[in-house]
Amino acid sequence: MLRLLCTAACATALVSQLPASAVAKEFSWAVTTDPQTMDPHAVNSSPVLGFLNNVYEGLVRRGKDMSIEPALATGWEPIGEGEGWRFFLREGVTFQDGSAFDAEDVIFSYERASSPESDTASWFAPVSDVVKVDDYTVDFLTNSPNPIFPDSIANWMIMDSGWAEANAASRPDKESGNYATLNANGTGAFRVTAREPGLRTVLEPYEGWWGEAEHNITRAEMTPIQNPATALAALLSGDVDMINPVPIQDVERLQGNPDVNVVQGIEARVIMLGFGHQAEALKYSAETEDNPFGDPRVRKAVAHAVNVPAILRTIMRGNAEPVNQLVSSAMRGYSEALPGQMAYDPEAAKALLAEAGYPDGFSFGLKCPNNRYLNDEAVCQAVTAMLAQVGLKATLDAMPVQNYWPELRAGNFDMYLLGWSPGTFDAEHPIRFLAATPNTEKKLGSWNFGGYSNARVDALLPKIQSEIDDSTRQGMLDEVAQVLQDETAYVPLYVQPLVWGTRSNVTLTQRPDNFFILRWVSVK
Amino acid sequence: MLAYIIRRVAQSALVLLIVGLVAFAMFRFVGDPIDNMLGQERTAEDIERLRAQLGLDQPFVVQYYRFLENAVQGNFGVSYRQGRPVIDILMERAPATLELAAVSGILAIIFGIALGVFTAIKRNGIAANLIMSGSLIGVSLPTFLIGILLIYLFSVELGWLPSFGRGDVVDLGGWSTGFLTVSGLKALILPSITLGLYQMTLIMRLVRSEMLEVLRQDYIRFARARGLRDRAVHFRHALKNTMVPVITVIGLQVGAIIAFAIITETVFQWPGVGLLFINAIQFVDIPVMAAYLMLISVMFVGINLIVDILYFFIDPRLRVDRKGGH
Repeated sequence: MLRLLCTAACATALVSQLPASAVAKEFSWAVTTDPQTMDPHAVNSSPVLGFLNNVYEGLVRRGKDMSIEPALATGWEPIGEGEGWRFFLREGVTFQDGSAFDAEDVIFSYERASSPESDTASWFAPVSDVVKVDDYTVDFLTNSPNPIFPDSIANWMIMDSGWAEANAASRPDKESGNYATLNANGTGAFRVTAREPGLRTVLEPYEGWWGEAEHNITRAEMTPIQNPATALAALLSGDVDMINPVPIQDVERLQGNPDVNVVQGIEARVIMLGFGHQAEALKYSAETEDNPFGDPRVRKAVAHAVNVPAILRTIMRGNAEPVNQLVSSAMRGYSEALPGQMAYDPEAAKALLAEAGYPDGFSFGLKCPNNRYLNDEAVCQAVTAMLAQVGLKATLDAMPVQNYWPELRAGNFDMYLLGWSPGTFDAEHPIRFLAATPNTEKKLGSWNFGGYSNARVDALLPKIQSEIDDSTRQGMLDEVAQVLQDETAYVPLYVQPLVWGTRSNVTLTQRPDNFFILRWVSVK
Repeated sequence: MLAYIIRRVAQSALVLLIVGLVAFAMFRFVGDPIDNMLGQERTAEDIERLRAQLGLDQPFVVQYYRFLENAVQGNFGVSYRQGRPVIDILMERAPATLELAAVSGILAIIFGIALGVFTAIKRNGIAANLIMSGSLIGVSLPTFLIGILLIYLFSVELGWLPSFGRGDVVDLGGWSTGFLTVSGLKALILPSITLGLYQMTLIMRLVRSEMLEVLRQDYIRFARARGLRDRAVHFRHALKNTMVPVITVIGLQVGAIIAFAIITETVFQWPGVGLLFINAIQFVDIPVMAAYLMLISVMFVGINLIVDILYFFIDPRLRVDRKGGH
């Protein structure tokens, strides 16, 4: 075997003497999940939207600090007393195939993105009509005043109506795909020059882009690498210039390496524990016939029993931040007024349990994914051990995320782990999905698996959605956050970290939505 | 004879049907594809609509029947993940796996036989003993670990070879080959060693023990007594007789190499059908999983069928047995 290794090594040593044909300013990066499609309206997932943000553009876009800034619209203003929003379109913009951009494309993209075949239809739920005023002015009329509408369409990308129609891609098709699944024609800074699903995707700067280039890349290549050890090796050997994510346990080692940089930030995703509020009885318990998690004192006891700082220190190795509500501090509408995270206090937990009638605790089932969030199963194991200290005997059931969501939808849990990243970057988002009483017709509470219900929260949500005045709106958001904390509807644990690794000659900007924006990359 | 072959073919078809049924039954434990296909802001209606569109609301038997009906016509459906016909995707990925399997198979055979002969002839030498102890590592270390170790040694530490992927490929009318570019050849080295190492050790140990056995035979002694050179004794007389069982094993290992390629392809991000299959599992891409499993089982069943029929021609006793009836 030694001889074999030597033979291989010696042979390749000769091969590697050949001159490297590296051209400067080429950039390659590795991702964990290849975007499923190049169609900006077919799948609402961050690998797809994050990648396509380099190719397609919306009316508005997010800047380095997540704030909304002009893109294909140069400006926008509310119509009348909150009847909707008027967008003024940028003139002289062309798509990558050369055709011009105007109001027709906006209307077409609205119809396409809000169709039932699209996965982005929920962004347009508040919209009653879209009207073309002239070639470069479009009105979006809303059912009720909608202060965050421009924010909520930051990931809505504009397609060329002519291109889509000519290629029979007027509607997205996620079952069998169409021309737009493999091809792209946006107005963005980069165009897709090669697309091999699962293997590589090549981007080149679009010469006709309207904006001013902040990057110096001549060609970029994205490769999916699923295995974290392989991705790390690819970065260390210089085969790729950037990887996302870096495994948490390797961060410290990488920081000591002069050839690479670790770029760290806080993601938008909040990790929390959820409860089966509405269940008649615990599903996975031998001794109880009622549901202790229906009692806010028991839920509060759980919050006191979980030692979040210890989880962050040991499992997340100091790379995450504790959180006291359903959104992180980087989001719009974050409640500054809310007191901090509930303190780790096992004695208080025991007292609360005794007060609720469970002095000896009880057993129950904790469901957890093992391939969805960073170190998710390890966190659940730690939580299980911490709860056991106060007499709450959790049976942990960890599974791949493919099996996890069906279990949660079927209500097969007593307690579960969930991560939530608000697509709108606004505190209203988790209230709508996680805290509102589930209502299929109104499309509320679709991720509120435990069926948490509070009349005050339900009453405030529509007001929050339509309040124009920022401070009044914040007041209502503060109130909801306070209610959710008082009732311990969920136990927010921490904000998941973002850890990217780059070669040391690369500078880039990391955004909390984990989107990788190529036009902010420069290679020395 | 015709009856025997027909019976064998019928048995093979039955095996395929059962494999398909078991595989299909297992898919329901892999998870629900719907959640992966829809975003975070999906509603219950979206879920139901997509489920109906994909036919996932149908009973399991109906789904299996539809799958078979289409598969017989060469239609393996459309990948949930990529939205393209599965057969196209498999055809794109097959060259990568077949080239990797071929190179690692050839490496395993050449080095396996050479080292086997060497360790048999110099059985008490230091080098032979080192190789024998080293081969224990080859059989006992998991493929995954070997791959990672090779990557860290040759890509990260020495920087000689690429850490992942297939390098540049040349398209020869639908077949993408990595044999014609320098980066393609360099990219082949580490994965093929990783994939071939186990087979190489297996062949080496088999050759060695067979060779030692043969070298003890009388005719070898006579050959030596006749004054033949060592070289002629070892290679013309001993090795030839060693090869019969070795060839049988090599034949059986061909299928194993392709099936084992899954792990190697995952470690090296090698764009073959094994990696495709692993990704399909993570995404619950049922059409791709089903097609892959059917492909692999057709291959195994096919190899066995050919072996059986060959035996029939080679070994006259089989024919006698059949005539005698059971």
